[in-house]
Amino acid sequence: MNFLLCSINTLKVLYDISGVEVGQHFYWQIGGFQVHAQVLITSWVVIAILLGSAILAVRNPQTIPTDGQNFFEYVLEFIRDVSKTQIGEEYGPWVPFIGTLFLFIFVSNWSGALLPWKIIELPHGELAAPTNDINTTVALALLTSVAYFYAGLSKKGLGYFGKYIQPTPILLPINILEDFTKPLSLSFRLFGNILADELVVVVLVSLVPLVVPIPVMFLGLFTSGIQALIFATLAAAYIGESMEGHH
Amino acid sequence: MANVIMASSKLISPPSISISSVAPTSRPKISLLQVSVPKISKTQLQSLSSSALKTLSLAAATSLALAPPSLAVEIEKAALFDFNLTLPIIMGEFLLLMVALDKIYFTPLGNFMDERDSAIKEKLGGVKDTSEEVKKLEEQAAAVMKAARAEISAALNKMKKETQLEVEQKLAEEKKKLDAELQEALAKLEEQKIESIKSLDSQIANLSQDIVKKVLPL
Repeated sequence: MNFLLCSINTLKVLYDISGVEVGQHFYWQIGGFQVHAQVLITSWVVIAILLGSAILAVRNPQTIPTDGQNFFEYVLEFIRDVSKTQIGEEYGPWVPFIGTLFLFIFVSNWSGALLPWKIIELPHGELAAPTNDINTTVALALLTSVAYFYAGLSKKGLGYFGKYIQPTPILLPINILEDFTKPLSLSFRLFGNILADELVVVVLVSLVPLVVPIPVMFLGLFTSGIQALIFATLAAAYIGESMEGHH
Repeated sequence: MANVIMASSKLISPPSISISSVAPTSRPKISLLQVSVPKISKTQLQSLSSSALKTLSLAAATSLALAPPSLAVEIEKAALFDFNLTLPIIMGEFLLLMVALDKIYFTPLGNFMDERDSAIKEKLGGVKDTSEEVKKLEEQAAAVMKAARAEISAALNKMKKETQLEVEQKLAEEKKKLDAELQEALAKLEEQKIESIKSLDSQIANLSQDIVKKVLPL
């Protein structure tokens, strides 16, 4: 108990120094259920940014693309490329899912680093990247699981479950375990990276407010982009894996 | 290291004030506990956190230096793995976003790009076809040029022949004329020759008579 108190004390001091509020949420009650309002608010902003910029850029496509359309075409090519390399020739129907995953996570992560959320004061908790919350990452990871099950089942029917005893039936438990480790690793990788990134920046800023945190901030931007790419690529890889035929 | 130092300094400072503020701090803490107990009961760490809270409240009641009341609040609320309705809501938002982005971004722009790609490819194929056409046209042009050249050379030859014929005709005419004149002149000359020979003959006869007359004196 003393050890617990000590660790609690050091944690508390860390919170006081950094001023970061880890795991604190601004609760709303919806029909007897609690929701994390700060996550919803920031996710709405992210969705608004995505939809708004997409509408603006793709509203009137030109044969010779200009700035915004050019950028969005580049992004679409990139997403198609990722989907194609991971899923294969039948990547077409999965582009919206992979693309939305990538764009939503990417804009969420960068919004946590670039948008001045802290200006808006909440009664409790604080605004941050939506991917900073375990609910968001688990939601995305579960959707990925559903997506690759759907992909496999729609492609091969019940024969999809044959992959569980594929190389040899001895691997059945490991194959079943994989279905749990996939969403778990997906969600915790994203959640941990973004939370740790924001924590590092906040702690550094509170210790040395000038210059020193800037490289870490850039590193954070880099990590955020990489995490979005990893999530999208892995989701595509899982979908492709469940769709590929084992003859 | 700095954290630890700051921690100790922060922990040392509160007790000097805390004695006077025992009553006001303990009252909101009780209310907080009343609020927090049902919330904690939802979490899986019920036994641990409630026991921690009990000890915390005990500690706070006996010696405020160990655990300030604000700490209890933070520990109680620091819920990193706090799953609730946010998760399905985010799922729904994501699916809606996916449908919306598909409607306004992925499908239209993707179709547009594909159409443009195929149009460009078509145009490129068309360019290859026209190069064949250009070849044909060039061949045609070459044939036309050849024909024109042949025509021109034929006309030239014809003209040359005609002019040559004309010239030869004229030349022949002139020659004939000249020949005729020559013949005439020659004939005249011959006539004159004969005439003069005749006159010479008569003169010779006269002269010989005269010479005979003179030489032979009677």
